[in-house]
Amino acid sequence: MEFLPYVYLTYMFISIYMLTFFLILYFRNRNKFFDYPKTDKKYSVSFVVPAYNEGKSIEESIKHIFNIGYPYLKEVIVVNDCSTDNTREVVESLLKKYPKLKLINNPKNLGNAARAQNVGLKQATGELVAVVDGDSFPAVGSINKMAGYFDDPKVGAVTCPVLARNQEHFWEKLQAIEYQAISFGRKLLEYVDAIYVTPGPLALYRRSALLGIGGFDENNITQDIEATWHLTAEGWNRKMCLATHVTSNVPSKLKPWFIQRRRWNIGGLQCISKYKKDIGRKGMLGLFIIPFFVINLFLGLFGLGIFFYLSFTRVLSKYLYTRYSITAGTPLVTLNDFYITPSFLNYLGVILFFVGLIYILMILSIMNEKILRKENILNIPFYLILYLIIYPFIMINAIWHYALKKQVWR
Amino acid sequence: MFESQKHTFWQALLITIVIFSMGIIFGVVLENWRTNKVDNLYKYSEIDLLDVKLQSEIYSMGNFNCGKAVEKNIAFADRVYEEAKQLEEYEKSSILTQDLKISHKKYDILRTILLLNSNKIKEQCNVSYQEVVYFYRYNNVDLNLKEEERVFSRLLEELKNDKGDKVLLIPIAADNNITSVDLILDKYNILQKDLPVILIDGKIKISELKSIDDLKKYFSN
Repeated sequence: MEFLPYVYLTYMFISIYMLTFFLILYFRNRNKFFDYPKTDKKYSVSFVVPAYNEGKSIEESIKHIFNIGYPYLKEVIVVNDCSTDNTREVVESLLKKYPKLKLINNPKNLGNAARAQNVGLKQATGELVAVVDGDSFPAVGSINKMAGYFDDPKVGAVTCPVLARNQEHFWEKLQAIEYQAISFGRKLLEYVDAIYVTPGPLALYRRSALLGIGGFDENNITQDIEATWHLTAEGWNRKMCLATHVTSNVPSKLKPWFIQRRRWNIGGLQCISKYKKDIGRKGMLGLFIIPFFVINLFLGLFGLGIFFYLSFTRVLSKYLYTRYSITAGTPLVTLNDFYITPSFLNYLGVILFFVGLIYILMILSIMNEKILRKENILNIPFYLILYLIIYPFIMINAIWHYALKKQVWR
Repeated sequence: MFESQKHTFWQALLITIVIFSMGIIFGVVLENWRTNKVDNLYKYSEIDLLDVKLQSEIYSMGNFNCGKAVEKNIAFADRVYEEAKQLEEYEKSSILTQDLKISHKKYDILRTILLLNSNKIKEQCNVSYQEVVYFYRYNNVDLNLKEEERVFSRLLEELKNDKGDKVLLIPIAADNNITSVDLILDKYNILQKDLPVILIDGKIKISELKSIDDLKKYFSN
């Protein structure tokens, strides 16, 4: 296949471009990377916590919210979406201890977080609305550090790093690395006004901005991505505060992780479908965010196609070779088979892999310096390789589900 | 702030083009280095071949020392065979440049001259070796044929390892648009569609894959 080397070269070019792009952004802004604007304004903040079967974590989550230390906290609204576990009882037991805690029990399950969040949003009265997942735990001082961004009237949403709370098992450790890399990248994207998601574990919105876009899209299973795109389309800026963080429970096993990522990808597809008309328009949404998602999708799928093609031809070759070898009585494997003359693409691939490794190490060292825990360095190559291998499969599975309209939230 | 940062897009593009170009230059340099290596080997092989040919000419004037001519011819064939394997490895990993394809053609011509020289020696001497010419497809895109040819090559490699100097092995790409090779194919009535073909002593044509033991039956010692 003569065109394959050109495909590899194209992938390499895009990888080098993205890496260079992020490195330039970092080195240009490194001195103010962890800075955040301080404010004298007294923004009142309402918390909205959608909860479905969060009995194990909701108490801890609420405690974290009340321990944030923000003086103008107006209310914490927990929207219990007809949980079948003891979520309701746990929250009710905290009502006396926390007078600003409010519990809304949906009479029937609304089916997704967006609907529950919108129920809470309607009740919220604060100037700012902080959305927190029922299994997430905002750090002390987080709102104090994030609120200052709203002094700029163009800012509609502020997010912060989401870190893996559980980092015991191998799969959790890989996600811990991933979450740090994502946070780092999101901060860099802020500098070019290209933040494309304000994640559910902790996002602080200007209530008027959120109401202005009609709240969360109840038909989108990644309402946080959709809301961010919608805010971008309406001209609102999004900011990332690296000076604080929120921790969240991450899937411990492959299957729930796969399902979670599939949901993210389906949500991404829904967003592309909804906003495809804005390609080339609406500022960075149409000029960068949507093309970035589309190119990512295309490269992932095309890469998977190439992978399947190569795997198929490799297996077929092996089969034919084995069949002919048996006929001829020649050895199936000789020492010569282990002698490989690498092409320059092999060399470039190895160099690129190590550059990627150094990039991740750099991220970890930068992030650790301020807010993060120690990571096992040996997990980084696993992270790079496993994610690279598995992600296209998640994507294709997501497209399959999307095409079949199997867009379930849980 | 965004206004001051938006230049990052094209700055990153420029740097990427520079890095990427360096990578391509590295690739071209690497492949050219390999081509030069093959060309150097070729030069020495060419000198050796001319030497062998001249020896035949000189000996034909007077006392012809068959033993030495045969010995030289086999040693030369073995060397060219090893060099061809190296060339093949380099060719597999060659992406940017096409120079090795030209080197391959040169080697095919060299091996054709070797074949003719071997025939000449055979006419004048009672040789102890058997000549095995392997005509194969070079510009092959069919996966099935590719794998069949790989096994043919391995089969002949096994045969050569087993028989040593009793076999003069000459692989020649038969679809490389070399007139002299085409003439030889005509002489032995070998068509392109028959490829790959093993020709033993200019008489026995084998185009179906055989077991190593069956192949050995064509050899007297």
